[in-house]
Amino acid sequence: MLTIQLTINGAAHRCEVSPNTTLLELIRDDMHLTGTKRGCDQGHCGACTVLLDGMPVNACLMLAVMADGKQVETIEAAAPGTKKHALQQALIEEGAVQCGFCIPGIVLSATALLEERPQASRPEIREALSGNLCRCTGYSRIIAAVEKAQERGRTNG
Amino acid sequence: MSDYKYIGRSVPIHDAQGKVTGSLRYAGDMVLPGMLHLALLTCDIPHGIVKSIRTERALALDGVVDVLHCFNTTKERFNRYRNIHGQKLINQEEIFPERVRFVGDRVACVIAETPQAARAALPLIEVEYERLPYATDAKTVIESGVLDDMFEDGAVYPAPELINGEQPDLTGTTITQTQAHFDRQSHVTMEPQACIADYDPLTGQATVYSPNQSVNGLRTVLADLFDLPYHKMRVVKTTMGGSFGSKQEWMAEPVALAAALHTGRPVKIVFTREQAMLSTITRAAFDGKMTTHVTPEGKVLSVDIETVIDAGAYLSNSLDYCIVVSSKIFRCYTFPYVRYNGKAVCTNSPVSGAFRSWGTAELYLLVEHHFNELARKLGMDATDFRLKNIVKLGDVDKKTGVSLGDVRIGDCIKQGREKFGWFAKRQAAEAFNAQNGRFLRGVGIGCGGHGNTYFPRREDFGAAQMRVSEDGTVLVNISLHDHGCGTVTAFQMMIAETLTIPIDQVAVGEADSSVTPFDLGCFASRTTYVLGRIAVDCAEKLKDLLVATIAKADGSEPEAVKIQGGQILAGDKHYSFADAAQYALHTLQQELTVMHQFVADSNPGVTGAHFAHVEVDTKTGMVAVLDYLAMHDIGKVINREITVAQIQGAVAMGTGCALTERMTPNKNGRFTSSLKDYHLRNCPEAPDVEVEFVEADSIGGPFGAKSIGELSLVPVAPAIMGAVNDALDASLSYLPLTPDRILKHLANGGESR
Ligand code: FES
Ligand code: FES
Repeated sequence: MLTIQLTINGAAHRCEVSPNTTLLELIRDDMHLTGTKRGCDQGHCGACTVLLDGMPVNACLMLAVMADGKQVETIEAAAPGTKKHALQQALIEEGAVQCGFCIPGIVLSATALLEERPQASRPEIREALSGNLCRCTGYSRIIAAVEKAQERGRTNG
Repeated sequence: MSDYKYIGRSVPIHDAQGKVTGSLRYAGDMVLPGMLHLALLTCDIPHGIVKSIRTERALALDGVVDVLHCFNTTKERFNRYRNIHGQKLINQEEIFPERVRFVGDRVACVIAETPQAARAALPLIEVEYERLPYATDAKTVIESGVLDDMFEDGAVYPAPELINGEQPDLTGTTITQTQAHFDRQSHVTMEPQACIADYDPLTGQATVYSPNQSVNGLRTVLADLFDLPYHKMRVVKTTMGGSFGSKQEWMAEPVALAAALHTGRPVKIVFTREQAMLSTITRAAFDGKMTTHVTPEGKVLSVDIETVIDAGAYLSNSLDYCIVVSSKIFRCYTFPYVRYNGKAVCTNSPVSGAFRSWGTAELYLLVEHHFNELARKLGMDATDFRLKNIVKLGDVDKKTGVSLGDVRIGDCIKQGREKFGWFAKRQAAEAFNAQNGRFLRGVGIGCGGHGNTYFPRREDFGAAQMRVSEDGTVLVNISLHDHGCGTVTAFQMMIAETLTIPIDQVAVGEADSSVTPFDLGCFASRTTYVLGRIAVDCAEKLKDLLVATIAKADGSEPEAVKIQGGQILAGDKHYSFADAAQYALHTLQQELTVMHQFVADSNPGVTGAHFAHVEVDTKTGMVAVLDYLAMHDIGKVINREITVAQIQGAVAMGTGCALTERMTPNKNGRFTSSLKDYHLRNCPEAPDVEVEFVEADSIGGPFGAKSIGELSLVPVAPAIMGAVNDALDASLSYLPLTPDRILKHLANGGESR
C-alpha cells in the first residue's frame, strides 16, 4: 500500500492505495463519491470524467497515485455562483438530461471548457465533448445548454 | 392551439436536478448494510462443455466468501425474456450452464466482501472445457447443421407462414427482388446492467433492486427459478441509466439472487462494459429478402418477404422477434397480398433480444430499400412512390383488423418534403455531383409505422391508484419504469392537467412489485398510450370522488359541484382538495382514494417520415449527415422539449446503426466487446436534427397522444442508406455502411446493383 495526499472537492485527504488502484476506484469505491460514473472502465466513454488541477481526465485511466499532491474536483463539489452551476441549470432547463448517466462527465468536461475558453464556438464545444458519449440525447440539447451557460456568463460578467 | 396548462409544453424531468449534481443513485451506486459484491466469470470459448471447475485458489483469497458455478447452483431453466406468468416460451437457459454456448456465457461468480476482492479472484478460477464445433452465423448453421444438437429441438425455429389477402391479377406488373442486412447491434446504455439482491433467511423475504422494465415479470421469473412464494419476492425498479430494451430481459438479477439466497446477505452485481456488450442482449443480425409485383403506376400489388433472425445462443424471444416483423407490415403501407416467412436460428453468438423498435426497424430497412429500387426502376420520385402505397385515414391494419384511426403518414411525407426542401436538395445534389469531385451528395427518405400497445396481439391492461393527502396533494401509485426519457414527468403533467392542479402537487412513484398495482411493464411503446390513458381516467374518477365528497360536505347536489383551477366550486363557495380530504378523514372516516383498471381496446397507426441529406467522401468512405428532418405523426405531444430530444437521440442512434455500429466475431468466435471497436456517434459526429410533428387529436390515448420512443428509430437507417445510395448511385443495403464497405463498393467500379 502507498500513502498519497490529495485534495478532493476542496478537502485535504490522506489515502492508502495499492499501486494499481485507479483514481476512479478511489473516488467511487473508497470515497463513495458515486456521482462519478463507471461506463466502461477503459477510457472510451467519459462517464468517469473528473477535473485534475482543472483539466478533465478519465478517472478510470489514471492510477490514484498519479493524483498525489493534486486537486481533484468531482461532480459533487459545491458550485453556487460558478460556471458549473450555470451549466447545470442550463442542462435542466434545456431538456438536455435524459437517463443522466453521462451527465456528470459532461458537466465537468464542459465546465473545463467554459473556464478555459468562455467564448468557445459550437465546433469547439462539440470537440470538447467528443470523449463523452451520450446514448439518449443526440447531443443537440446538451450543446444548446452549454451555449446558454456561455450566454449567461457573458451577461453576468 | 389548445389552452392546456401543461400538455404540449416543456417541463424539466423530475430527477434532472439529481442527475446534474450526481446525487441521484443508480443501482451500482447503492449500498445496503452488510452488502457483498459479485464478479461474473464468463466463458471465452464459443461452444463447449464445462468438465470441471476448481475454486480452491479463488476461495483462498482474502475477502472471498464463495464461488457459485454450474456444479453448485440450481439447474432450473428459465427464459430471460418472460414478462408475464404463463407466457408461452421455451426455457433453454440456466444461471450457469454446463454446456456453454457462446463467448460471454455465464460460467461462475465470485462472492466477496469488496468489489476488488471479487474481481481479483476471477483469474484464479480454473475451468476445464471440452470444446465443441461452433458457428457464429445463421447461414452456416442452416447449411452445415453443425448445431443440430445444440438444444433438444435443434437450432432452427421457423415462424408460422403468414398469408394475407388474395393474390390479385398480376398482368402488366414488374417483379423485383432485393435484400437487406443488419449486423448485430449493441444497445450501449451508458449504465451497464447492475442490481442488488437481498434475502432475509428469517422471514424468507427476497428483494431485488434493479433498473428493469417489468417488476412483475421479473418477480415471477425469479420466484419460479428459486421456488419462492410470489408474495415474498419483491422487485423494486431503480433509476435507469438508459435501456432501449436491454433492461427488459433478465441476465444480472438471477445471478445476484442466487448469491443472496446462498449467503443470506445483500449482494451487488455490476456488469463490466464487455459483459454489457457480450453477456446481455443485442439486436439480432438480420437478413431479409423481399419480392414484389408492382404496376407501372407504382402500386405494389403483391409482397413476399423472407427473413432470418440470428437468435444468438439461446432462442429466448427470437421466434416472437421473427413474427413481430410481420406484425408491422400494414402499419405504414397497405398491399392487397402479402406472404411472410421467417426463421429464428440459434448460433454461438451473443443472445438477441428486445431492442428499441425490435422487428420493426428490420422490416422497414427491407421495405424502404426495396421501395427506393422500385422508384428508381419506374423513374419515379422516392417520396411520390411511397405516397402511392401508404395507409390512409381510417384504414385498418390488415393483419389484425383493428382500425389505424387517424394515421397520418401522408401528411408526414407531404409536409416533410416541403419543409426539408426535398426536391431542391435533390436537384442541388445532382448538380453538385455533376462536378465529379471527391465528395458526392444525395437525399434519402425513410418511413415507418409502429404500435402503441400489445393490443390485439396479446393481453394489454393495467391499473392506477390515486390518493388525496390531508393537504390536498395527490399521491399516484402506478407501475411506471422510467427509462430516463421523462415518463414520470409526463405522467405528472397529464394528471395535473386533468385535476387542474399545479404539477408539483402530484407525486408519481415508480414500480415496486409489492406496492404498485399489477402491470406488464414499460415496453412495446405502451407506456404513454396505455398507462397514460389509465392515469387520466383514474384522475377523472378522483375528480368525481372529490365532487361527491364536497357535495356531501356542502349539502348540495353533486351536479351543482365542479372542479376548476384546482378548486372545488359549489355554488359561490370554493373548497380546496385539502378541505375534501379533511372532511373525508374526520367526518366520513374514509381516505379519498380511487383505483382504476383498464383493458386496452385500440391501437391507432403511428408513423413517421425522415429525410436525410448526406455527403460521402469517396476517398475515405466516410459519410457526413448535412441535414436531417424527422417528421412524426404523434397525435399529441405531452412534454415537447424532451420528446424532441428523445427523437434527436434516436436519430443519433440510427445514424450509428446505418453507418458504423456492428458487433462481429473475431477468429475465436468472440464478438466486438469494447467501445473502442463499437463506434457510436460522439458529439462532433452527431447530426443536427430538426424535429416536426403532425398533431391531430387521436383516439384511445391520453389527450390524443400516440407512441414515439421506438418508432423514432425506425426510419433513420433507411433514410441514411437511401441518401448514401442516391449519392453513389448505388444499391447498398448491407448495413452498416462502414467506410470499408463503401470504399470496397467504389473500388469495384461502383457496381452493386
Ligand atoms: S468509465 Fe472511464 S472512460 Fe468510461
Ligand atoms: S442522458 Fe442517457 S446517456 Fe446521456
